[in-house]
Amino acid sequence: MNDFIIGIMAVSATLGLYGAALMLYRKKKSPLLQPILVVSATIIIVLLLFRIPYETYMIGGQWIEVLMGPAVIALAIPLYNHYERLKQLAVPILAGILVGAITGVVSGILFAKAFGFERELILALVPKSVTTPVAVSIAETFEGPIPLAAVFVIVAGISGVLMSPFIYKLFRLKHPLGRGIGMGSASHAIGTAAMMEQSELEGSISTIAMVLSAVIVSFIAPILVMLFL
Amino acid sequence: MDFIRIILHIAFLYLLLFLGNAVQDIFQLSIPGSVLGMLFLFFLLKSGIVKLDWIKEGTSLLLKHLTLFFIPVTVGFMEYLDLFSGRGILLLVVTILSTALVMGLSGFVSERLVKRKEVQQYE
Repeated sequence: MNDFIIGIMAVSATLGLYGAALMLYRKKKSPLLQPILVVSATIIIVLLLFRIPYETYMIGGQWIEVLMGPAVIALAIPLYNHYERLKQLAVPILAGILVGAITGVVSGILFAKAFGFERELILALVPKSVTTPVAVSIAETFEGPIPLAAVFVIVAGISGVLMSPFIYKLFRLKHPLGRGIGMGSASHAIGTAAMMEQSELEGSISTIAMVLSAVIVSFIAPILVMLFL
Repeated sequence: MDFIRIILHIAFLYLLLFLGNAVQDIFQLSIPGSVLGMLFLFFLLKSGIVKLDWIKEGTSLLLKHLTLFFIPVTVGFMEYLDLFSGRGILLLVVTILSTALVMGLSGFVSERLVKRKEVQQYE
């Protein structure tokens, strides 16, 4: 089979599954049914069952992935729409994000150290709370394993989306601000995208948290690694 | 007609992405090009150089289906199943615990500060 046909198949399968998962999610409204989770898990299972390598899927998958960059840029729009409201809340927003950025890097290092993992693996954990492109460039500066760093970013994103209802209850987060800051700081673009489906205000707060925490983490991570690792 | 409009809007976003990547490259920044591109778009909108109406259809389509574009990267998880089958599973536990802490603490700090601010406004 030539690459073009494989690509078309991968894209149509992904789009078809996504459409079906989206309908199911809108009907049931359960965070466990997040399309990104359902679709990715289904594709992984199918690929493993038929022994199809990831690279083969990516012949088509990359056609979808190319839209990731423009989609991140489009996040400027909710930010613009809610700018006036967010400006008044600058102090709580910045304080929350800073606490989140430090907590993410330090707790990752200390927990992994407690379990006795080697330095290489711990370095891959450091940028897990920030969006993939930033996490990759942070991992590059540490000379840590880059694909592994991307995997931890995904785990932080998906697990954050799944845990969010529970975390909001546990920490009594009722305000859109607390929820948005928590989601964006912990689960970056995946969390933001999931949140955007529920409320544009929470989604735009999450966008701010995601962007600022990416900037803050890339500045503080080298210092925190020196101090704690 | 809408289809052409959407294509043009996305092409415009690509232009910003290209600019963002170029700026990152030239100044050797640790902030990725896509985030820089987003900041450019924000300033273009804020200053009124670009009107929201000009790019509405394409951008709202992307924003509505944001998670779709992250699916191919997420599927990449399958390449690491071996690592997580043994003791490596603890790395997942660490990631999940740390994520929960980040979400809870950052949200808690923001929310407490907002409440204090709201109380001050009443006094």
